[in-house]
Amino acid sequence: MTGLDAAVAGIGATDFSKDSGRSELRLAAEAVLAALDDAGLSPAEVDGMVTFTQDANQEIAVAREVGIGDLRFFSRVDYGGGAACATVAHAAMAVTTGAARAVVCYRAFNERSGRRFGQPDAGLGGQPSSQGMEMSWHVPYGLVTPAAWVAMFARRYLHTYGATSEDLGRVAVAMRRHAATNPAAWFHGRPITLADHQASRWIAEPLRLLDCCQESDGAVALVVTTTGRARDLRRTPAVVTAAAQGSGAGQMMMTSYYRDDMTGLPEMSVVGSRLWEMSGLTPADIQTAILYDHFTPFVLTQLEELGFCGRGEAAGYVRDGGIELGGRLPVNPHGGQLGEAYIHGMNGIAEAVRQLRGTAANQVSGVRNVLVTAGTGVPTSGLILSGVSN
Amino acid sequence: MRTLTQEQVEVGSVLPELSLDLTPTVVVSTALATMDFTPVHHDVEIARAQGSKDIFLNILTTMGLIERYVTDWAGPAAVIRRINVKLGVPAYAGDRLSLRGSVAAHAEGEVTVEVRGMVSLGDHATGTVTLVLPAGQP
Amino acid sequence: MTGDGELRELAAKQAALGEVAGAPAADPVNVPMIRHWLSAMGDANPVYLDTGVAPPAMAQVWTMQAPVSGDRSPVNVMMTALDAAGYTGVVATNCEQTYHRYARVGELLTPATRFTDLAGPKRTALGVGFFATWVITWYADAGEPVAEMLFRVLKFRPPEKRAEPYPLRPAVNRDTAFFWEGVRRGELRVQSCADCGELRHPPGPMCPRCHSVNRAHVVAGGEGVVYSYVVHHHPPVPGRETPFVVAVVELPEGVRIVGNVVGCPPESVDVGMPVRVTYRPMDDELVLPVWTPRES
Repeated sequence: MTGLDAAVAGIGATDFSKDSGRSELRLAAEAVLAALDDAGLSPAEVDGMVTFTQDANQEIAVAREVGIGDLRFFSRVDYGGGAACATVAHAAMAVTTGAARAVVCYRAFNERSGRRFGQPDAGLGGQPSSQGMEMSWHVPYGLVTPAAWVAMFARRYLHTYGATSEDLGRVAVAMRRHAATNPAAWFHGRPITLADHQASRWIAEPLRLLDCCQESDGAVALVVTTTGRARDLRRTPAVVTAAAQGSGAGQMMMTSYYRDDMTGLPEMSVVGSRLWEMSGLTPADIQTAILYDHFTPFVLTQLEELGFCGRGEAAGYVRDGGIELGGRLPVNPHGGQLGEAYIHGMNGIAEAVRQLRGTAANQVSGVRNVLVTAGTGVPTSGLILSGVSN
Repeated sequence: MRTLTQEQVEVGSVLPELSLDLTPTVVVSTALATMDFTPVHHDVEIARAQGSKDIFLNILTTMGLIERYVTDWAGPAAVIRRINVKLGVPAYAGDRLSLRGSVAAHAEGEVTVEVRGMVSLGDHATGTVTLVLPAGQP
Repeated sequence: MTGDGELRELAAKQAALGEVAGAPAADPVNVPMIRHWLSAMGDANPVYLDTGVAPPAMAQVWTMQAPVSGDRSPVNVMMTALDAAGYTGVVATNCEQTYHRYARVGELLTPATRFTDLAGPKRTALGVGFFATWVITWYADAGEPVAEMLFRVLKFRPPEKRAEPYPLRPAVNRDTAFFWEGVRRGELRVQSCADCGELRHPPGPMCPRCHSVNRAHVVAGGEGVVYSYVVHHHPPVPGRETPFVVAVVELPEGVRIVGNVVGCPPESVDVGMPVRVTYRPMDDELVLPVWTPRES
């Protein structure tokens, strides 16, 4: 039905920290090696690589370090964290078509100890590229940080639907609750209450500090191969049931303020409708979702765009633990980027694989299909990964 | 007080140096004595707001001090005929004005003194003072 | 702004007026002012008080007066014109006084001024400027000249003070230059399609509706309503004091534009608030359109 014949056969990661003490290339090499080891593949068996355009480590550099030889497929995906699931989508298309037999997807950065995305970059608006021109309508006014770009959407959402800062806070509380029992999470053992959220300082009203994900150093890698080959490898495959990219009309990078409505994420709707169409599944078939959570407001929006609830209903959906473990749809059982680490969405894909394998720290019972999304507010991507029996 | 006579002066005669501490009191009192109420000569905040580092001497005072410098040397019977001054750097409160001079010309009863008034920034005023000295007793 | 040639013409006219009499001194030459002057200068010369004459360098003191606004004397006319032409700096360069005789106590002096010369423009250490020269003669009661003074000033154009460059600069290209040119003129320009009339912001090179590349613009009325906004607190932003407000403003023309809301406390901003555009220079080159509250 999907036309794809691909599965995630291996996952690997470095530790998640605030200061890795290593170069980004070393982080990439470590994560790739770990993923290959997890899959039971040797570097020589890899012939494709995919990463983000924002990644500082070229495929060939990582290949040299790890001992990967001939490459037959390499691809980069643009638009920041929106690339995460698309790396798997590209890899899946490559192995399905035979362009490559085993593709490694990776993302590695020192995002906390090196260049921090949360800090203003005055040069953003200065480049005469199309993105520089786009930024030039915003950066000169000091609208220069991801938190502020998202806050602009959040204000309109809260205004339109009568939602509150506490509704955003419930997302943060859920993620930190999950991270608290995930030993790999930065915030392991450190849950927060709604009162903690409400007491945290303003970053860009209406966003508080605890609405914003952490900044992390680390790397994650994934190995994608055909389903048949994956079955013969060391681990239980996580089958790529559906994979999609999406961008909406009037799309911009984080600042799509000129479309009719500012309360939604049309690009995520593009991704979602394709995922449902490809998989033949519905939201009721998803046991747990990995929703990109660099900032809390877009978790609400995604629940709506993906059809887990109606427009403006997400605040009600997350009340009473709706997205927590044991709730109607556990979201980000690993703690997400708010709780585990900010690895540009790639750590979420690894969590989806663990949930399907049954090896997650916070294992949801009876997981057959996991929906994963990538960066929000930007052209994005998504996956539905399924257990091999599916 | 004695006055120099024409015979007592020759080209090259050097005037004794006069050195004045330009206290704020000097700057302000001379400005007011010359009826110059421009704020830059008495109000330090306004002077600074206009880009000066402090209040500074007004031109009428510069002329008066040069006149005084030459008559201090020449004596009360000297008659000042001309003072030609080229104005240079400002003389700020807190600085020191040193006046030096020498006789540059002496002809037909007129004596011309070259005068140079210096402050820490450089020449505040340079020029000439022309005066008439009485003839000596035969 | 007056051109250099016009300044020279004006100077010639002022010079042609010849000597123009000023107001007589408020007081005759008098002992108290002499005593005061001598004391301030530290001048111990006894000749003045002993013989009832004024120190010659006091010539100008007798007729000093506060500047009168609207003074149409030749010198003032010239100075005003130089100011208007941008030669706003002034520094005196020469003062040459000639004393025909010492003024006597009791004499009332009357000044008369001749504007004599305007030279320039010349490049000087202070900037490009004109040297303006005039001569004042002080007459005693009977019209007898007592002293005269040549005075020369340099009226210069101060080198422009460069403001610290604002760090958050927009990229400007041929698709967007019209907007920023408008802002510098106090116009909020919205791109319009020269063929189908479609308005669009942010602008671009091709009309998404009819694919025309003929671009025009309309000047927006300048009113808008806050559609959404943020109050930025953290982290610090170069060139900005926190907190500050950035809003998406909806214009009645049908487009939205992002800009700061200024002139009111951040907590008073709200969705739906009526605002009006204003223009804020950020440095010597960049002007940004920003928004202030207006009565609805």
